[in-house]
Amino acid sequence: MLASSSILRTLDVQAVRADFPILSQSVNGKPLAFLDSAASSQKPLAVIEAMNEYYRTTHANVHRGVYTLSERATELYENARKRVARFIGAKSSREIIFTRNTTESINLVAQAWGRANLRPGNEILLTELEHHSNLVPWQLIARETGARVRYIPVDGQGVLQLDGLDALLTERTKIVAFAQMSNMLGTITPAAEIVRRAKAAGALTLIDAAQGVPHLPTNVQELGCDFLAFSGHKMCGPTGIGVLYGRRELLEAMPPFLGGGDMIRRVTFEGAEWNELPWKFEAGTPAIAEGVGLGAAVDYLSGLGMDAVRAHEREIIAYALERLAEVPTVAIYGPMAPDIRGGVATFNLGDIHPHDVAAVLDAEGIAIRAGHHCAMPLHEKFGLTASSRASFYIYTIPEEIDRLVEGLYKARSIYKKAK
Amino acid sequence: MDRQGQIDFILDHYENPRRKGALLDAGASAQGSNPGCGDLVTMYVKVDPQTGRADVTFDGTGCTISQASASYLVELASGKTLEDILAIDRDDLMGALGRDIVEQRAPCAALALDTLHAAAHELDRERACHEIRME
Repeated sequence: MLASSSILRTLDVQAVRADFPILSQSVNGKPLAFLDSAASSQKPLAVIEAMNEYYRTTHANVHRGVYTLSERATELYENARKRVARFIGAKSSREIIFTRNTTESINLVAQAWGRANLRPGNEILLTELEHHSNLVPWQLIARETGARVRYIPVDGQGVLQLDGLDALLTERTKIVAFAQMSNMLGTITPAAEIVRRAKAAGALTLIDAAQGVPHLPTNVQELGCDFLAFSGHKMCGPTGIGVLYGRRELLEAMPPFLGGGDMIRRVTFEGAEWNELPWKFEAGTPAIAEGVGLGAAVDYLSGLGMDAVRAHEREIIAYALERLAEVPTVAIYGPMAPDIRGGVATFNLGDIHPHDVAAVLDAEGIAIRAGHHCAMPLHEKFGLTASSRASFYIYTIPEEIDRLVEGLYKARSIYKKAK
Repeated sequence: MDRQGQIDFILDHYENPRRKGALLDAGASAQGSNPGCGDLVTMYVKVDPQTGRADVTFDGTGCTISQASASYLVELASGKTLEDILAIDRDDLMGALGRDIVEQRAPCAALALDTLHAAAHELDRERACHEIRME
């Protein structure tokens, strides 16, 4: 077992925790242990204050007014876009489209690119690891266009089986869309390799980076992907803002997704000309304060360093897997090697229903997720209807893992018949 | 009942379910599920034509609250008329199971009741059709 102190080498986790006001409270009379960051992360003061300050001093609609406040709001919002572009290594902030979340980013590509480019007989290649948000948008556009959805299989540990990838990639394959990290199993996929092989076969690539960008150093130019989608709220930012990165030539060639204000250059009663990138894809008044908050979140994570973030989470997941394995009747799902696993520990405790496990833990102040985690096909593949998931972030400490394990022993004593 | 007493009551129904098992000659049965968490219940109802009283059983798998709720409910409903069964409401059920324990898990707690009502409605409709035919 690792000593608690040896985990704190790369990140000053106590200093990080002090930045998150929500963590210093009690729930059900116990200190809160928030172990559901894969669903949504908590927010540091820097983000909360940036949004507060924006509303107190700067708010006006963007890209419109010729008055000072509107110009200042526009500058803050567009500066956030530049910081996001830099954070993921995009060539230009024109390649950064603000959306509501990862789901909307993927739907944007499936609808705007898919409708213009997919034909009957074309294939969309996904993986069996995908979250519903990288499955359903493709199933919808496939039904509409006559294209077919195929899947890269996973093995019993939830690792992609890439031996058959070249056989799956044919001239019919138009796009390969896959998760950078599985939200259910924590599997980190070899994204750069998949992109390289997909490109060699002439297919475009989209990376669902909802669990990637918040936790792993991510550079779109090194990855070589065509599209990359992620959400603000899983990376210390607010809800209601997400990002679609797209290669400029592709975004230029795509028709708009939603129509409305801000996305047009000129409108007549007969038709309209589209605005330039990125605004062509941002119809209507955007989530301005949330954009400002996301910019602050990106600054916060950059300050910690994404290498340090990953190093911390690698140690935490290694410790969690080791401790969970000590508990009798625990079944852990997903890869056991911390090198290919993010901070997500998914398990079942004997035949105790995951809801019951979560309820016992909640009484101890420990928040975990129980259910299918928006990955029903993957649960079915593993023969499960539901599972429990503890997920970690920059503020997770080994003591919280210890409390999780104690909580599982408590659940075992309540449900004595659990085998 | 205090909170611990309420928890023990629920756990007792979960670990020692009452009237669990299919009713082979049921007049109606209905299946309900919460796909999000995998709770599954089937409710069986048979009405004695002489007395108008119901015999109710259940079968299922799922979390403690969903299964304890079904066990509690089949005991409560057995011996009642269809009208009385249809009159059992969610609020009474929540109160009986312990509101502060089940209110965060309302879909689990209410699954058996909604499913029982579906089966009872089916029987009620059949009876109405039968009466019309008899007239």
